[in-house]
Amino acid sequence: MAISRRAFGLGLLGAAAAGTGGYLTLKDRPEFRGYLGNRAHLFGFIGGEKQAFLADPDVVHALGGYGLELDARVAGSVEMVREPALLTQKPQFLWPSSSIMVDLARKSGVAIRNDQVVLNSPIVVYTWGPVVEGLKKSGLVTVAAKGDYNQLDLKALLDAILAGKNWSDLGIAELYGRTRIVSTDPNRSNSGFMFAGLVLSLMSGDVATQELLAQHGDQAKAIFRSMGLKSSSSGKLFDQYIAGGLGAEPMAVGYENQLVEWALADPARWQRVQAGAGAKPEILYPRPTVYSAHPLITIDPTVDRLLQALTSPKLQELAWSKHGFRGPLGTVAAGSDTIAGVRPAEIEAVLPMPSADVMLALLSQLDG
Amino acid sequence: MPKTLTSVLLLACAVFLAACNSSNMKFSIVSGSENTVLEPIVQEFCAKQGATCTISYQGSLDIGLGLQKPDGLGQDAVWPASSVWVDLFDSGRKVRNLTSIAQMPVILGVRKSKAAELGWVGRQVFMKDILAAVKDGKLKFLMTSATQSNSGASAYLAMLSSALGGKQVIEPGDLDNPAVHDTVSALLQGVERSSGSSGWLADLYVDSARQGTLYDAMWNYEATLKEANDKLKQMGDEPLYAIYPADGVAVGDSPLGFIDHGHGPDVEKFFTDLLAYLQSEAVRKRIADTGRRLPLGGSAIQAAAEPDWNFDPGKLVTSIRMPEPAVIRKALDLYQQALRKPSLTALCFDFSGSMENEGEKQLQAAAQFLFTPEKASEVLAQWTPADRIFVLPFDGTVRTVFEASGDPAGQSQLLGDVAEQHAGGGTDMYACAEQALQKITATAELAKYLPAIVIMTDGRTDGSADRFLEQWRQAPVRVPVFGITFGDADKSQLDSLAKATSARVFNGGGDLAGAFRAARGYN
Repeated sequence: MAISRRAFGLGLLGAAAAGTGGYLTLKDRPEFRGYLGNRAHLFGFIGGEKQAFLADPDVVHALGGYGLELDARVAGSVEMVREPALLTQKPQFLWPSSSIMVDLARKSGVAIRNDQVVLNSPIVVYTWGPVVEGLKKSGLVTVAAKGDYNQLDLKALLDAILAGKNWSDLGIAELYGRTRIVSTDPNRSNSGFMFAGLVLSLMSGDVATQELLAQHGDQAKAIFRSMGLKSSSSGKLFDQYIAGGLGAEPMAVGYENQLVEWALADPARWQRVQAGAGAKPEILYPRPTVYSAHPLITIDPTVDRLLQALTSPKLQELAWSKHGFRGPLGTVAAGSDTIAGVRPAEIEAVLPMPSADVMLALLSQLDG
Repeated sequence: MPKTLTSVLLLACAVFLAACNSSNMKFSIVSGSENTVLEPIVQEFCAKQGATCTISYQGSLDIGLGLQKPDGLGQDAVWPASSVWVDLFDSGRKVRNLTSIAQMPVILGVRKSKAAELGWVGRQVFMKDILAAVKDGKLKFLMTSATQSNSGASAYLAMLSSALGGKQVIEPGDLDNPAVHDTVSALLQGVERSSGSSGWLADLYVDSARQGTLYDAMWNYEATLKEANDKLKQMGDEPLYAIYPADGVAVGDSPLGFIDHGHGPDVEKFFTDLLAYLQSEAVRKRIADTGRRLPLGGSAIQAAAEPDWNFDPGKLVTSIRMPEPAVIRKALDLYQQALRKPSLTALCFDFSGSMENEGEKQLQAAAQFLFTPEKASEVLAQWTPADRIFVLPFDGTVRTVFEASGDPAGQSQLLGDVAEQHAGGGTDMYACAEQALQKITATAELAKYLPAIVIMTDGRTDGSADRFLEQWRQAPVRVPVFGITFGDADKSQLDSLAKATSARVFNGGGDLAGAFRAARGYN
């Protein structure tokens, strides 16, 4: 039990050496910088869909390793880049949900130091098993050649809606009445905003321009009018979809990561749903779709470290495996698992969004 | 010296007690009446937490109108029947974390023998079938007021949607379409009794059945029909057969939401804990047992189907898409001003001596509210030109009878007539009720109207109810007798009159607009 003085001395020396070596190593490793005591507090605005990610204790811990503590307040993507009441609070960073917001921020005079897409999530259509089965029969849904996921011919679906087709015309006998899809209010929420851009481009046959908007804006407007009451946030609409089921919410637009997060939040619940007899939630990837990119807009130099942290393999892995967000290029790390039926395969057909000017013009048309 | 000590001790006690009270959570919820059956489940949670919970009940539209007021609602949480009313009226975004607890389709329950007679048992029924039955005089129903209660509004919007021939959603221009007006007002001719509350309407059906009066049908929540049928079966009466209109129904999502009054994080935590409790597996099972739908719960968490009255919470119902807020608002105005069944109302104004001063002042204020269209329409309680109004000022006898239609000129004439009345003399409200009933039953084409008698009084009356009730029983229509109390009121006689005629008594001395809005919801 007794330890000899010599052994004790050697032990101390060893610990000191390890400590010094450790210190030298840690100093060069940014992800451990935080453990040495120099923490930076950063204040900024984020889109609500990233709230759960940033509140995740594993994420907080990993950012702490980089010496970062975030005061991230939730705001709508459009308002955080335009609203003087928010911008005068001098945020050090902005983290909206669409690349167009970088242009809008620049237009509002935000002194942008840098901007880089950190996460991605494709816009998807949430639906239910019987709808997928029916749409497969009518050819609107096919299985992607690579990656084995269900893709939706969104243009054909929109045409069916504009033509007043019934669900039964599309092979879905379970539902009565006209085919319909619903998104959030494009003037308030980013997923509806992105879907509006996608609808306009599909109606136009190409990425929409001002000329194409003049020709096809009415069709986009008709699609949005057919939705009736639209939710103000992507989270709310997803909740309505889950709570309402097949009869109330047959098809709703959202982000890919929402179902993943919902499944991971309560794995037992997810298993029950999968084992149950009722209609199950399903994801359809519009072909083509648009990516909701999440660009980190840095205003203050200290935020560079946040950018470094968020693009690190550790945080990118957490973003996918716990929250369903894809990386900057729309991909996830090799060997990542399928979660909640969502496969990490690369999405085949992706359209860029129309330019900011076109989108602003479209928004005011949809509002009228 | 001892005196000072006592004061100090008293003060310490007071401080101590205050501290004790402040650690006791008090939490208030305003809810739609359909949730009465869930109150014990909520109270169980409150008791476990050592909290005092108060739940008050209002129509979902009234909850919405409350949110719209600048000072909003005083409660900590709202639980309307549908989130539509929060979306529509909560312009200040006061409600947070609004979360659906269950899904509740609004369907038509038809007395089973009636459903068989109509050939509706075991087959799909569309809104056009219901319309045909109403037009042929084969079907009448109970339905809450579309401008007060979510179930009535839901049934009404489903009627509008169906009249449009199955468009995806009602758009602004659709409400100007005369063919739509004709169809929906013909459907609303089927309304036999109305009310401001879904729960009260279901009680009316069951209580009437108990007294031997059988109504044909009732629009209500699937789960509320289950509650009513459970009681009817116990009484040995036939159940209401569930008709799920195949062209779409409106589904209430029964959401619970938090209103932050700045009472600290404990109150919000209590709310989120309550929400988690209501979403826990065991409690979801109990909620499902009441007949509410929890779509992702599967059959394990669903009330058993009851084929004898076609109840099946696992049956897929297609829901109608809710229109834009501006369209809903316009549709509600259209209901109140044009499409609802016209009302035939006899108003007894008590100008007896006991109403002098305060009571008389309140009565004149009531007339101002009732007969000024701008004021009444603010709370969607306005008259329409198709309505018929009798005003009977009374003391020991009925002084005179004024009569007008509900157009603005008629209302302003009635307002002038009432202004000339002053308090004095004895009181006999039964004499007024008798004459009001005679005026109503003598009206031509009585079946076109929803009749009601409203007595505005302090309740202190001579005379007896017997002769009136004798006449009431012999009348060709059932006329509810509502009471609105004023001054230093004694409600007991009014209460028994309201009870005998399946009506209610409201307090006009406090929230006058609220009392009238409530009373008007019943016709």
